[in-house]
Amino acid sequence: MKLTLDTFHKFQKEQAARLEGRKAITVCCGTSCRAKGGLDVASAIQTKLKDAGLDENAVELTQTGCHGWCEMGPIVTVEPEGTFYQQVKVEDADAIVASYTKGNAEEKLLYRDPTTRQRVASYHAIPFYAGQTRWALRNVGRVDPANINDSIARGSYVALNRALTSMTPEGVLNEVAEAKLRGRGGGGFDAGRKWRSAAKAPGFPKYIICNGDEGDPGAFMDRTIMEGDPHGVLEGMILAAFAVGSNQGYIYVRQEYPLAVEHLRQAIKDAHAMGLLGDNILGTEFSFDVRIARGGGAFVCGESSALMRSIEGKVGEPRAKYVHATDKGLNDKPTVLNNVETYVNVPLIVEKGSQWFANTGTDKSKGTKAFSVVGKVLHSGLIEVPMGTTLRELIFDIAGGIPGKNRQFKAVQTGGPSGGCLPEKMLDLPVDFDSLADNGSMMGSGGLIVMDDRNCIVDVARYFVHFLVEESCGKCVPCREGLRHLLDVLERITQGKGKMSDLDTIERLCDVLENGSLCALGKSAANPVRSTLRYFRKEYEEHINEHFCKAGVCPALCTYKINDQCTGCTLCAKVCPTHCISGSRKEKHVIDQAKCIQCGSCFDVCNFNAIDILGSNG
Amino acid sequence: MIELTIDGKRVQARKGEHLLAIARREGVEIPTLCHHEAVEPSGACRMCMVEVTRPDWEGWSKLVTACNFPAEEDLIVRTRTDKVMQTRKEILELLIARTPGSQLIAEMAREYGLDHPTLTVGELSEKCILCDICTRVCQNLVTGAISRINRGVEKEVNTPFAEVSDVCIGCLACAKSCPTDAIEFKQVGLERTIWGRTFDLVPCTQCGAPTLPKEQAEWLSERTGMKVEEYFVCVKCKAAQTARTYENIAW
Amino acid sequence: MEKKLLHVYPQRCTACRNCEIACSFAHPIDGKAGVARIKAFGDKEGRVGHNQIVVCMQCEDAACVSACPANALWRNPDTGAIYLLEERCIRCHSCVAACPFGNMRPQADEFPSKCDVCGGDPACVKFCPANALEYK
Ligand SMILES: Cc1cc2nc3c(=O)[nH]c(=O)nc-3n(C[C@H](O)[C@H](O)[C@H](O)COP(=O)(O)O)c2cc1C
Ligand code: SF4
Ligand code: SF4
Ligand code: SF4
Ligand code: FES
Repeated sequence: MKLTLDTFHKFQKEQAARLEGRKAITVCCGTSCRAKGGLDVASAIQTKLKDAGLDENAVELTQTGCHGWCEMGPIVTVEPEGTFYQQVKVEDADAIVASYTKGNAEEKLLYRDPTTRQRVASYHAIPFYAGQTRWALRNVGRVDPANINDSIARGSYVALNRALTSMTPEGVLNEVAEAKLRGRGGGGFDAGRKWRSAAKAPGFPKYIICNGDEGDPGAFMDRTIMEGDPHGVLEGMILAAFAVGSNQGYIYVRQEYPLAVEHLRQAIKDAHAMGLLGDNILGTEFSFDVRIARGGGAFVCGESSALMRSIEGKVGEPRAKYVHATDKGLNDKPTVLNNVETYVNVPLIVEKGSQWFANTGTDKSKGTKAFSVVGKVLHSGLIEVPMGTTLRELIFDIAGGIPGKNRQFKAVQTGGPSGGCLPEKMLDLPVDFDSLADNGSMMGSGGLIVMDDRNCIVDVARYFVHFLVEESCGKCVPCREGLRHLLDVLERITQGKGKMSDLDTIERLCDVLENGSLCALGKSAANPVRSTLRYFRKEYEEHINEHFCKAGVCPALCTYKINDQCTGCTLCAKVCPTHCISGSRKEKHVIDQAKCIQCGSCFDVCNFNAIDILGSNG
Repeated sequence: MIELTIDGKRVQARKGEHLLAIARREGVEIPTLCHHEAVEPSGACRMCMVEVTRPDWEGWSKLVTACNFPAEEDLIVRTRTDKVMQTRKEILELLIARTPGSQLIAEMAREYGLDHPTLTVGELSEKCILCDICTRVCQNLVTGAISRINRGVEKEVNTPFAEVSDVCIGCLACAKSCPTDAIEFKQVGLERTIWGRTFDLVPCTQCGAPTLPKEQAEWLSERTGMKVEEYFVCVKCKAAQTARTYENIAW
Repeated sequence: MEKKLLHVYPQRCTACRNCEIACSFAHPIDGKAGVARIKAFGDKEGRVGHNQIVVCMQCEDAACVSACPANALWRNPDTGAIYLLEERCIRCHSCVAACPFGNMRPQADEFPSKCDVCGGDPACVKFCPANALEYK
């Protein structure tokens, strides 16, 4: 059935009515929960429901996208109460259905607050979710991404219908521009301005591209959105196409995201069938189609110009952007390229108005941002908060802070490999595009890697540079050759072969990377090194002058020694992978330095602070 | 036509014309390594960096590559600022570390006062500087037999999957346009070897001297409409043939 | 404006090959004489008036120009002669193979060479003692 402007409204109301007080059990079938058996849980619950005589009129079973808290998966929720079950196994299906029929919650599957030790019944009372403002993720984890009616019921395509009924392309453009929507994929470029340039540019056809390459290690915002709310992405792209006058779009999806591709394919097919995509959308003159392009598998292919070359079937190398993609992009035609999260915000803006959108956020960064918080935090996962939320709120209030009772926060890397490392004194920084950039880091696509005092800062810099050496496309000299030397210097320092003059060499290499590189990969490659040198110079100097890695990470620069606090509990001896700790029970243990590989396992398990990390010469 | 300033001099140019072309026309020297007039600019070597600004940029300026930066009205281009010179010098140092044996790079480095380069990594001694000229030449002008394969420091010029190419015509354009002579080829008698493939040079139908690979003749014939056999006469015989034809003409 | 042409009068040619030497020195490579773009063939039997001069005729529809993949062969609007824009040449020597008259000459490891009428002042003409060459 193809919908038209006239019939859409009624159809949407019908679908929405279905949701009113709907009884549903949702099972997370995102990539991670799937891997942990989410699909089996879903079918087990299905069987149990049938056994209990409950058909889909009594309770709907919905397979949703990812809830962004994968360590808790598979996640099952019960609507409308919002009961949140964690780490559900197939065996739990019985209990879930049983308590459902009784109208209460299955206690042992509820989330337990680590501080209060209390079970928390509802989704909305769990700090991890309570502290979030889920705009981009509004439908993720709630709708069945394979069911277009579910999305429409939750308001998908309402904005499109509104735009086609009562707005001009210029009107949509203005709305997005006034919302001051900034690109969520990297640089935070003003989306309205980008669209306007493409709308004005002569040339036909014009293209709309959605960047779903998501190459930052540890980041999975875009994957989650594409998998969990594909219609949100499509609607954003259709609105963009309407605003700039395009008829053809591409979604460029990372090679490693098969589920995202599957759900997007389904969504495109369904949207076609309902007249929401393709020729004469909702019965109007406006036509727009979307194709999926599979990524080339390299980090650099996420860079906009490399991405377009890759879609064209050429080598995925960036090229100079002196002529903007909005004038000459894909196939040298005017092109708008935005990130997944950018597009998914557009329907919200069109539906609720730019004013509403711009009321949230900071002066120059409006709306919310989804972060992928990983590393040394209690709860890693996807966290969406209003722009301007402080790092402290993000890391401590929502993500639960640093795990391990003796561990301390050391730094947070924002913006992925191109971002920078911020120290503790920056924790109260309100996070937005500009505040991060002003302090030597960047928003990037929203990766946040939290580090504690067991992370060596030089090693962190080395890690990112190593990543970039592998991922540099190798086209331009500063990036290809400069990074190789930078890695070499950092490796020397972590091996105890550093000289103080190496720090000048690092600065010099950072300069040529920043000033000379062709694309933003090379230009920003200095960030992790520059920022760690800026905030943690002392640690570099300790490595060089004192041959001391106080985090106990660089094997050549630390020794582990057991002090007099040792109670002889034998725990360390049990975990040591090389069995080089000896000592009898209740007596002080000793590490055989000849066999110790400086892995730090003993340090991490010792409950009595009885292990010291010392410099390489003790 | 538009007007812009290069090193203090007002010059005229077409809008969108690349800065390098304008500078060279005006006699302003800008070094390049990856530039070749026959192909589109690539922007790979970064040697042609210049600093640009505009009256309305409030003192802000940026480094751009002259070989592909399009001219615009009132642009102010400075080709030898400290930042430009420093960047070029660093790039040369990086290249010396990559290709310690290259005359060309060593000479350029001396011009930039780089007498004692310090950077080294292992035992690097590449000849290729990955300027991308050969690949652009072959892809844009010949048959596209070679390209850049792999990524980052592993990047190299080769045939796809480093296999013997069946589209190479053995024209040697890649090797001959390489600024550092990094592409090896061999020609002995009637055989020419490049990229692991040996081509038979068709002997001149009159004297037997080597002419060109049959593959190149076929490629040429497709583009020009001349018969393949017409290519199989060497220059000397062609000239002599011409002379003989003249003889029959009554002057 | 009427374009001048390089006229050859082989019947006057003495096959002294001064033209070749003049051409070589007019087109040096790294300061040394290059390959001559003109060729004088002495008659095998030594008959006067039967020598031959072979030089590019700057054909209307030139084979070299259409063979060149790099667009490196251009007609000089001032002289009407076809010349090689070295910056564009990729040295594939397709032009050498294409010219049916043998007037595009290869030079080992160098750019191919052809008569460019020395930009409008041909050296050969000046050096021919027999007036077998005229530029008019
Ligand atoms: C090396 C590199 C990798 C990038 N990877 C991505 C990516 O995976 N996803 C993305 O959306 N943007 C990525 N970007 C940023 C894009 O180039 C581009 O700025 C962005 O997609 C534009 O969309 P936005 O304005 O909506 O953020 C990358 C940039 C660079 C330099
Ligand atoms: S900066 Fe790096 S990734 Fe970008 S073009 Fe240069 S080599 Fe490629
Ligand atoms: S020799 Fe082969 S690879 Fe080289 S330019 Fe000619 S066709 Fe291309
Ligand atoms: S050798 Fe030079 S002039 Fe001759 S065809 Fe090749 S590119 Fe053109
Ligand atoms: S000549 Fe411009 S980057 Fe190489």
